[in-house]
Amino acid sequence: MRVVFEDAEVTRERFMIRAAGSFAEGVHLVSGPVGSGKTTLALAATGLRTPKKGKIYMEGIGTFTLSQQFPEYHITGTTLNEEIASWGLKPDHILERTGFNGQGSRDPFSLARGELKRLHLACVLSGNWDLLVLDEPFSGLDCREKKRIAGEIATLKAGIVIIFTHEQTVFPRVDRLWELQEGFLRDLGPVPGSFPDWRGAPPLLRMLLEKGIVPRNLANEDLLEAVCRM
Amino acid sequence: MILVSGVRFNTLRIPDLSIYPGRTAIIGRNGSGKTSLLRLIAGLASPEEGSVTISGEPTGTHNVGWVDEYPDRNFIFSTVYDEIASSCRFQFIPCEETRSMVLEIASKAGITHLVRREIRTLSGGEKAMVALASALVTTPPLVVMDEYDSHLDSSCINAVEGLIGASGAQYTIQCTQNMELAARCDTVVFLYEGKILYKGRPEKIFTSLKDSCFYPFSWRLRDAGCL
Repeated sequence: MRVVFEDAEVTRERFMIRAAGSFAEGVHLVSGPVGSGKTTLALAATGLRTPKKGKIYMEGIGTFTLSQQFPEYHITGTTLNEEIASWGLKPDHILERTGFNGQGSRDPFSLARGELKRLHLACVLSGNWDLLVLDEPFSGLDCREKKRIAGEIATLKAGIVIIFTHEQTVFPRVDRLWELQEGFLRDLGPVPGSFPDWRGAPPLLRMLLEKGIVPRNLANEDLLEAVCRM
Repeated sequence: MILVSGVRFNTLRIPDLSIYPGRTAIIGRNGSGKTSLLRLIAGLASPEEGSVTISGEPTGTHNVGWVDEYPDRNFIFSTVYDEIASSCRFQFIPCEETRSMVLEIASKAGITHLVRREIRTLSGGEKAMVALASALVTTPPLVVMDEYDSHLDSSCINAVEGLIGASGAQYTIQCTQNMELAARCDTVVFLYEGKILYKGRPEKIFTSLKDSCFYPFSWRLRDAGCL
């Protein structure tokens, strides 16, 4: 299973992103500053943007989905029950998991935005995906949910998980790092060997690297363990 | 002083809350009532019971800079320039002055390159930056921001922090899920299921939250004696 960007050029308005590389099975983290094209690339990875040049193709992937940054973009149902059912899922199970037991007739837009994101992610993460693309999955979630989602991502059955994010505090364990800089997608390589090349590394990781300490991975526990090695 | 008295609104139940000038962070779990409280303070909603006043005056009569948590709900015009300028135009500020105010705030926010863009073409983070510039361009005395930072990376947050610091606003009230940011405010208010559980200086509030994930991660590392 893999998603291949073969010298692909994807345009968004006035700028272009060049991408070459292959996303194999595992958890990938793609970081990049605001406006660097993360969402554009997330759309391209799931076939929702066609490259102007080059090719983007999937190999061995049967099922895939994209979770968009803004949960409100996904809403198609007028009640929580309808919304959950639109993902082909049984509402009661998801309502219970997300703490909305007995509230299936509520309007999704009556939820707080973070709650809407929680509901949306519960639907997305319940699927069996060969390829799961998550655009800013942590944005708007409280710390408890961020940690829970980071933990769930680590135990997903999905083949390829690509996370596009600017998150700086809570991360799941990831296998490979990528970075969008000045219109290029750079494959930084496997974690933790790629940490020193990560220009947009979170401040804590950068501080550790400056002191010559390389954490095993990005989860809070890994960072805490690394800090205490000092 | 902003005074919230005997308020019932949605899930909020606040007998008494005073907010003094400075920077205030409202924190709490998703659904704890943060947005409801911010809407009341900004004068975008009225409580079912009780009152919210700013220096003794009812809300809704003040110039308020507001940033919504839904980026798309911040905009009524199609281009970035018109959106930022709208705050000035609604105050009948002359065109030339409006133009220089828009360009100045865009420059300070680092979004000069976006000024001629159509809003629908912006990324989530870019929309948040435009919403902030629109809220701050007329230097309102009260700025209320609902999780503006959830769409931004750390360098944008630092730029915005500088912008807010330089804006001269008497009150800056924001809710956030970024505890490092909350820890830099003068006052932290912790909401739990519509009620205020804690309010005070960050050191005091986060000490009460030490066993939860709300405790800033950098503080946890510091406490571990490793930093």
